[in-house]
Amino acid sequence: MFRPMQIEHLHVAYGNACVLNDVNMEIGPKRITCLLGANGAGKSTLIRALVGLTPPRRGSIFFDGEDITRLAPHRVVAKGISCIPEGRRIFSKMSVEENLLMGAYQEKSRGEIKARLDKVYDIFPRLAERRGQLAGTMSGGEQAMVSIGRGLMPAPRLMIIDEPSLGLSPALVKENFRIIRSICETGTAVFLVEQNVRQTLAIASYGYVLSQGRVIAQGTAEELKSDSQVQKAYFG
Amino acid sequence: MELFLQFCINGLMLGMMYALVAVGFTLFFGVLDVIVFSHGDTVMIGAFGGLSMYWWLGAVYPGLSLTWTVLWVFLAAALAVTVVGTLVARFLIMPLRKAPPLNTLLATMMLGTVLREAIRLFFPDGSNPKPFPHLLPEWSWQSGSLTLRFDNALLFLSGAVMIVLVHLLITRTRLGMAIRAVAQDEEAAQLMGVNFTMIVLATFALGSVVAAFAGVMNGLYYNEINFGMGLLLGAIGFSAAVIGGLGNIYGAILGGFIFAFLQTLGAVALPFASAYKDVFAFGSVIALMAVRPTGLIAEPSSQRV
Ligand SMILES: Nc1ncnc2c1ncn2[C@@H]1O[C@H](COP(=O)(O)OP(=O)(O)OP(=O)(O)O)[C@@H](O)[C@H]1O
Ligand SMILES: [Mg+2]
Repeated sequence: MFRPMQIEHLHVAYGNACVLNDVNMEIGPKRITCLLGANGAGKSTLIRALVGLTPPRRGSIFFDGEDITRLAPHRVVAKGISCIPEGRRIFSKMSVEENLLMGAYQEKSRGEIKARLDKVYDIFPRLAERRGQLAGTMSGGEQAMVSIGRGLMPAPRLMIIDEPSLGLSPALVKENFRIIRSICETGTAVFLVEQNVRQTLAIASYGYVLSQGRVIAQGTAEELKSDSQVQKAYFG
Repeated sequence: MELFLQFCINGLMLGMMYALVAVGFTLFFGVLDVIVFSHGDTVMIGAFGGLSMYWWLGAVYPGLSLTWTVLWVFLAAALAVTVVGTLVARFLIMPLRKAPPLNTLLATMMLGTVLREAIRLFFPDGSNPKPFPHLLPEWSWQSGSLTLRFDNALLFLSGAVMIVLVHLLITRTRLGMAIRAVAQDEEAAQLMGVNFTMIVLATFALGSVVAAFAGVMNGLYYNEINFGMGLLLGAIGFSAAVIGGLGNIYGAILGGFIFAFLQTLGAVALPFASAYKDVFAFGSVIALMAVRPTGLIAEPSSQRV
């Protein structure tokens, strides 16, 4: 069976500053696994380590049983992992369509690329209308669509999403969560970093809570909703 | 008037050469945020590579037609410079990526000296200027005192073709898209599956081929090359790239022509002292930079390619 990701005893540091300490996680198939935690807990750092941007000091990362710990990002992507990074990071001087094409950079078949493009335009009709517009001139909400659409273009087996609703209106946040759920329903495993705890736990099956670089709680969404740590941290 | 036209024609020629050199500076700055100061000397390597090929062809295939000779000379120059350029990128510039930009600047300046000295010491009689062969037909059109030389027109056109090819590569191909992506956001590009090292090397190869072309063009235009020719060309190419706004390819091309225009203006306006045309041109660049610190093409300083 597909085992999207196992993270074992991961230690990550920037220079001398230790950010993650002995992190252990499992991202399961066909479901949304979420990662909660306050600002500065180390969530984005964990994601950078998973995709190869910041290689860990110690520990291992497995994708479907295969050790991918110190692979360069483009090799990680080649395994079937796509990442929607913190802050969207769209290519602002490229058109919307070029951004999407960048998402499918490693796909060689033109027919396949075209099919995926159509699928993304199907999900976000707005992007189809604006395909020629420079991505940097799109509104914040539209840029969020570009970054999610771009993340879908490689047809990933595992999608890692870092705070997709940052800076969006409540209505758009809701729409975003709906789309992430539908991505998961098509069979893609999702690892979701979020600050909107209620909405996240509503769509996630399993979750972890990170604090100061350590996993301080984990469990099913139901368990986390009633967890005292989570209660204390988020629902006061 | 005719004198002025003549100056303009010569200025266009020079502008094309400068533009080709400036494109390299701006490409490298785009993908790696570094100034590769030795780029001018890379141009010189191109010219010497082309000359070596000419000598070799003369010795081995004395009867080779001019067309083939020219093609082989360009090819040899491109090859020599691409090898040097990608080696420099891989073993000097990539390892210095995490170092302060000033260190990279210094390292590439020293590399430029190494390249110049290598040619001076190891090329046969390298410390003296070398005659560069006339490889293009020497027809010309004469109108009064105005001369339009066929070989120069040909060089100018090929330079223009080169620029169009670079433009098409950057805007229309998958490689070009990856180069632009890396220039805009190197990490995001990697997350899309772009092999960063490969793209950097490809960019250096591209910039080098363009530089090689400029080197041979320089040789064909002046019919003489020397080990130090890259120094001034480098300074001019760098200035042109800065005038156009570093990182912007079209700005660099424009900058090349502007610099040549300034030189020409200097020569026309100061006929009694045309030796000062470079002083005039560089002085104007300094004045321009004081007025428009981010270059002529107005863009937020963070945007490139
Ligand atoms: N490049 C870096 N160099 C040094 N320290 C860094 C770097 N990036 C992040 N840090 C530090 O690592 C810690 C964790 O940062 P990280 O971005 O992973 O937090 P986060 O959980 O994603 O927070 P947020 O919810 O605000 O996005 C912070 O203390 C931060 O200051
Ligand atoms: Mg973060």
